Amino acid sequence: MDNGNWITLLAANDRRGGSTAPRKAPPGELIWKNALEESVRSSPVLVDGAVYVTCRDGRLHAFDARSGKRRWSYRAAAASNSTPSISGDLVLFGCDDGAVYAVERATGRLRWKTAPADGPVWTSPTVLSGVVYFGSTDGRFRAADLDTGRIRWTRETGGEICSTAFATERIVYVGSGDGRLYALDAATGRDAWIHQAGDAIAASPAVADGLVLVGSEDFWFYALDAASGKVRWKIETNLGIYSSAAVAAGKAFFGGKDGFVYALSIADGKEVWKSRSLRTLTATPVACDPIVCIQTFYGATQAFDMQTGNELWRANLGGSLQSTPILTEEAVYLATYPGVLYALR
Amino acid sequence: MNRRTFIYNAALGSLNLGLIGLPIRQPDSALKSLKIDVQAPDLPPSPLGMPGLFPGRVVETEHARAIVDRRVSADAVRAMVEAGMKTLTGEVSPRDAWARFFSPGDVVALKVNPSGVPETTTSIALVREVVRSLGAVGVPPKNIIVYDRNSNQLEVNGYHLLVPPGVRVVGLDQRWSVEGERRSGYDPTVFCEMDCFGERETRSYLASVVVSEANKIINLPCLKEHNASGVTGCLKNLAYGSFNNVARTHAGTKTYTDPVIAVMCTASPLRVKSVLHIMDGIRAVYHSGPFAWNPEFVWEAKTLLFGTDPVAVDRVELEIVERKRRDVGAPSLWDRNPENIGDMQRSAMKNPFFREPGHIKTASLLGLGKWELADIDRRKVRVG
Repeated sequence: MDNGNWITLLAANDRRGGSTAPRKAPPGELIWKNALEESVRSSPVLVDGAVYVTCRDGRLHAFDARSGKRRWSYRAAAASNSTPSISGDLVLFGCDDGAVYAVERATGRLRWKTAPADGPVWTSPTVLSGVVYFGSTDGRFRAADLDTGRIRWTRETGGEICSTAFATERIVYVGSGDGRLYALDAATGRDAWIHQAGDAIAASPAVADGLVLVGSEDFWFYALDAASGKVRWKIETNLGIYSSAAVAAGKAFFGGKDGFVYALSIADGKEVWKSRSLRTLTATPVACDPIVCIQTFYGATQAFDMQTGNELWRANLGGSLQSTPILTEEAVYLATYPGVLYALR
Repeated sequence: MNRRTFIYNAALGSLNLGLIGLPIRQPDSALKSLKIDVQAPDLPPSPLGMPGLFPGRVVETEHARAIVDRRVSADAVRAMVEAGMKTLTGEVSPRDAWARFFSPGDVVALKVNPSGVPETTTSIALVREVVRSLGAVGVPPKNIIVYDRNSNQLEVNGYHLLVPPGVRVVGLDQRWSVEGERRSGYDPTVFCEMDCFGERETRSYLASVVVSEANKIINLPCLKEHNASGVTGCLKNLAYGSFNNVARTHAGTKTYTDPVIAVMCTASPLRVKSVLHIMDGIRAVYHSGPFAWNPEFVWEAKTLLFGTDPVAVDRVELEIVERKRRDVGAPSLWDRNPENIGDMQRSAMKNPFFREPGHIKTASLLGLGKWELADIDRRKVRVG
């Protein structure tokens, strides 16, 4: 978290996701909503009273968080499926033309964009210490200079990269469609270690308590030693995992394509609870004590008790595949696949 | 651009094209007659187009270890695809079998079936194996397009995440760019026009991927019952996954899926470009399709069906689903008992429609393939 702001996927780069807003009751009042021109696959982000969201028509929008009034829109050259990241005065997002765009947060003017990859950038740019990390569906993972967008290094993998990276000062972790979880030297892109799973890793890893936590299409959820890549524990689900893990209160939370929300103890992988949701889950949950909240493809946002897994509330607001809601004390902001952005009290 | 008019006469149960009248269904007083206009470019006929190089031939491959520990086995899929393609074509090597259909300059569209939960949709393992096989004959990933009407269904089942780099995954309800040019999902000049039940939009447009991007199509349907058309299969997967605005053909208990599915498949771009059909029956559905939310109605058939003749493949599919339904005591797909109209999710005895699998025979009458079992050369191959 960054002073109550919500600057990237799951609020901040630690993937802990969320403020202390209780939200044990469902949102009951519409503050505003905006129907966008096309569908939205990504998650909104929030900073300093503005909500930023990308749309599949290629636009990045900035809305006033209180009124819903549009401050500006910037249109990229192709569709965007990438959750924006905020860094300083810039909003960064990936585009299907293969570039990452950096747009001035106040004005919506383009500051720079990277040289295009050979495939769309669906991942959210991860920013740490002046470097922007992102993968693309051409299988390449890149590090770019935050000030200029110049590519510093590139690491080729054997599959599409739809996994948003988790960056630390020394190591960057990212999954690939080739089934590998790559731990790369943040400065050079050289391999620190690689873990081979049984199928694609499209989810985004989270790092907590010295473990890299990530699910795979091979049905397994892995906890890997962050320094060595050794498997510390792993848990098998009933289908593939695309949902990224949120971590909070010593637990990892994620949704499975098998339709369950899982809560696992980070220390030993024991199942704390497992709750049935609405069929296939692909979005990333928010772990925001005392609730875990997830958007489902089949038309509802659900909240579960973080301790017990009991369903607390359900709001029928239109489905989403990958979007994660923003929960603050004042409002819930969420984007739906049909392209509606809601602010709810 | 060519425009043809088909008249479905419900009182006579006939389908007329110009002076030719085809008896397709039992007379149905509950339905009104239907005029269907098909406007499409008239492509030159190709020996590869439906019914293709091997009319009436259907190869069924089976592999006992197609599913291992609940996962579809990529190794088993590869073995089944290689055996199926060799048996279909008579070639000795898989590469030569694929080369009967494809060459390096082709742009190949893969029509998957993403309607359902991840276990009842076209397997990722099959899509990957087809991409690999095309690569072996020189078709690069960038020349391969996986498509369907619904981008959300493609995405929830992970096609865009799990195919090899370079392969494009296109939901026709989206817009996309090709070398900077904006494309939309449907071609406004190619359509099927009819008024089924007084709907506001009476046109169904054909995918621009089919009309103008791909020169060949591989159809990858699933072996599934369908609550309106009897089975999904080759013909329905092609027609209702390539034209938009198709749910309007079934309403209440009434359905025009026969003859609309068959008529749509005669549109020249679909007919000429669809050169190969591989039906995914690794997991199969005998009831509540296409989505099959209730896993009770899914069984592990562990089979892939191969053919160039979509009618013959669908006829074999129909036999397989009928046999399964008989085994579990469910009514036939041709059932007309009004007492069996009801909620399909809880019981295999109930269905919301009187199903109309007759579209398969209608497609045969329209020249798309062989319907009679006596005309079908059904070859079974046990791979492992």
